Amino acid sequence: MLQISRLSRADWFGPLLATIIAIVLIQSFSATFLSAYNIEILLLAIAVNALVAYAQMIIIAIGQMNLSVGAIGGLAAISFAGAMEVWGLPAPLALVFALFIGVLAGMVNGILIRITGISAFVITLATLSIYKGINLGITEAQPFYGIPESVKSFGSAILVGPIPLLVAPTIVVTLLLWFMLRRLPIGRFILAVGSNDHAAALSGISVSKTVIAAHAISGLLAAIAGVLVVARLQIGQPSIGDDWLILSFAAPVIGGAILAGGHVSTMATMLGVVIVAIITQALVLFSIDPFLVQVVLGAMILAAVGLNRLRARQPLKGSM
Amino acid sequence: MSAQDTPSAPSPNSSTGDGRQTWLRFFLSNEFGLILLIAAFIVIFAVSTRGFLSPFNLFSLGRNSAVNIMIGLSMMTVIVTGGLNLAVGAMGVCAAMAFGWLIEVLGLPWPIALLGGLGMGAALGFINGWTVVRTGLHSFIITLATMSIFFGVMIFLTRAESYRAIPDVFSALGKMKIATYLSPLLLVTLACALALTWLYRFTVTGREMLAAGASPAAAELSGIRVGRIIILCHMLSGVLAGMAALMLVARNGAAIPSMAGQLGQDWLLPAFLGPVLGGTLLQGGKVSVLGTVLGAFLVTMLSSGLLMLQIGAFWVQTFLGLMLLIAVLLDKARRSYLTRRNLA
Repeated sequence: MLQISRLSRADWFGPLLATIIAIVLIQSFSATFLSAYNIEILLLAIAVNALVAYAQMIIIAIGQMNLSVGAIGGLAAISFAGAMEVWGLPAPLALVFALFIGVLAGMVNGILIRITGISAFVITLATLSIYKGINLGITEAQPFYGIPESVKSFGSAILVGPIPLLVAPTIVVTLLLWFMLRRLPIGRFILAVGSNDHAAALSGISVSKTVIAAHAISGLLAAIAGVLVVARLQIGQPSIGDDWLILSFAAPVIGGAILAGGHVSTMATMLGVVIVAIITQALVLFSIDPFLVQVVLGAMILAAVGLNRLRARQPLKGSM
Repeated sequence: MSAQDTPSAPSPNSSTGDGRQTWLRFFLSNEFGLILLIAAFIVIFAVSTRGFLSPFNLFSLGRNSAVNIMIGLSMMTVIVTGGLNLAVGAMGVCAAMAFGWLIEVLGLPWPIALLGGLGMGAALGFINGWTVVRTGLHSFIITLATMSIFFGVMIFLTRAESYRAIPDVFSALGKMKIATYLSPLLLVTLACALALTWLYRFTVTGREMLAAGASPAAAELSGIRVGRIIILCHMLSGVLAGMAALMLVARNGAAIPSMAGQLGQDWLLPAFLGPVLGGTLLQGGKVSVLGTVLGAFLVTMLSSGLLMLQIGAFWVQTFLGLMLLIAVLLDKARRSYLTRRNLA
């Protein structure tokens, strides 16, 4: 009994339970749900969305928010495609360049927030507009079509069975991120700053460095997501990242992240992404209006924050 | 110091000190800075572009700023309580579509449909406010979710189709020119701004809104029903968002679901630019209606001027973002200067 109650308190337990129930339910109504083709589509969506969610999660961990995740992703995506088409760079170099742009954009966010002391909301709203404007200014809203074959084949390659190669980077990033937040000093610093930056500063952590590092990581993750989308779509669309805002908050919140900071879980966020992907896919399978996907996503955020609040109260009641 | 001046509206005239102090304060105020900037840019654009001061450009400038100011005011009413309203765009579009539906499908006369549209805005605002108060969660996450829900339901119900049967009388409002250069829409917006100034300055409800934003706990203890006030602020925000969207309908001659972009996100930047440039504190409790009006006007004028300079339409967004950044930095510097000189 004790073990079950301990399990139920783990962050990933609720989302995992919800995932399993959702899979069983949907499979029982629609036999094609777990077909190889459908699983491949699910995994492709999860691969990109997980990175988008992590980019927001790492900022939620320090108790801030990053509205510019989508803009950074889009900017990195067109940098990647543009470097290959216009400058003729080989794909690996273009990748390095795109990731560098992502890190740089994230660091600018972090530095501005720390120097000015203005809330992350206002700063990232401003940089959202700046990065998106640079993106549109460079591309003039026209996509880059000159993507080399190597990138295209990476985007459509299959790892094993129904598993596309695109999930490989996401799996690696997930493990690294989990290890970082669990074991590495920088990960612990991020969580410490998120739960109480004053206490963190008093215990000798440089809050500035931690905040800037977190934003740099967020930029890097958004850039990887942007590059993966380019590989999947096979063109460098300027509109990549435009619809990431709701998604980036939905998954961490469904995974139990507390917006006040200091408490996030990589695995639970991943499960949040999986739940969103499964439900979106189910709406398509049951031929429910695709317009309603937005409604469901919004309702899921509301339900998740409501549940998180209930859960946060539970331990208090138990101890009394 | 800040606790002292939070409940009082920041205005050059509200201080009871001696005249020189009042004037000095006005010259150091955000509003005066904005007026200077606006004047400077008018001169720059008038000299460097052709036709910036032509009646046609003044007309379109006034018409665009009418909408942008209204969007800024809509956000401002929620910022006053220390909250945010990401759903401004989604609520506006819903109100406009309700207006179009009442006219085209139910065949109601447009003044009644107008009330229906604004009522829709108020109802959606009530949902936001009620959820924020009931759950005790920050309005950021609530309105992020409701923005997705409102917009999704609207798109589902309208099948993403526009309502085009807008009566000529109504769309004439969007094209009408008073004395060749003034849009009646701008007058509507300015009337709303005056009404809001009156609300925050002279009515009990307005003062209670400021008090609830400055310190909810203190407001509650002094007998203000904070929950009810916050719901009211969100409803007001919904009505103003509806007004902005209906003005767009008058201008376009149709209620179009995509007029505020995907999920209404295109309104987010103008919504924050006005109040933040105008010196409304994001922490709540302090409001400047005049500042919001001037801020939103400056932004509209800059975008129009930059377009006329032919810098490239695609770069305008970058400039707006940079402006928001520079504005908050300048405001920060001004505040710390005022604090050092003991003027604030």
